[in-house]
Amino acid sequence: MHSIYARVNGVSGLWSTCIMVLLAAVALSSFLFNADPKGDLDIVSLKVFHSKTRRYPFRNEEISFVKFNISTDFTPLFNWNTKQLFVYLEAEYTNAQGVNNTVILWDRIVRRKEQAKIDVVQKDKYRLRDLSGSFRDVLPAQYSLKYNVMPYVGVLSYGEAARTLEPIDFPEAKDSVS
Amino acid sequence: MPALQELVEGRIDFKGQKKTDDIVRVVLITSTVLSFVVGFTLSSLKITLSTFALCTVALSLVVLPPWPMFNKHPVKWVPSQEHSPKSKG
Repeated sequence: MHSIYARVNGVSGLWSTCIMVLLAAVALSSFLFNADPKGDLDIVSLKVFHSKTRRYPFRNEEISFVKFNISTDFTPLFNWNTKQLFVYLEAEYTNAQGVNNTVILWDRIVRRKEQAKIDVVQKDKYRLRDLSGSFRDVLPAQYSLKYNVMPYVGVLSYGEAARTLEPIDFPEAKDSVS
Repeated sequence: MPALQELVEGRIDFKGQKKTDDIVRVVLITSTVLSFVVGFTLSSLKITLSTFALCTVALSLVVLPPWPMFNKHPVKWVPSQEHSPKSKG
């Protein structure tokens, strides 16, 4: 500690330890906040149409269009360590081969507490299609609204806010012109 | 030139070094606890990190420059002696 450089060297050692302990304490404080918001999710309409695949326009496939109604209040999830909230709507179904499929249809990034009340009637952002190209042999799907809390410092946490009560059948594919 | 060198070196005596060491330890640990508590009660991470940053700046202003309060006990050197032929025999 005899010269300025030596003092800077000595102080920075304890300073870096202190700031790491501070950030660890902030990360651990996230566990004190246990909010579990629940909301409502309704599927307004579900239609399946024949169309062309996006990448190979000469191939046919069936695409399903979902309109849904979400009403949830995510404000309890915003604590001092929440950076943003990733809210997403998922469709879960099992296909004829018994494989479980989960498809994200819509998502939203919520950055501030004031934007955390979600009350929308919307159509899906991303297409709902099956890998086999057809929804004919697919078991009915359940729709769930899930969220992912992203902290400033700490571990990510996930949760489910709403779920449709019964599985919903996929209707027969129609031609989009009609 | 020696004046510039002294300015950059910023030497302080041993008692002053001990004093700076104590100040640094106390201030850093207190500011960690204080900034966590203040930020937690006011529910703002920005306040936590800015209190910590302010405490760091204040600490460096107190500890880094060679203030006169750290130079109050200069080292007392033993007076230099002439080389006498007596010490050989």
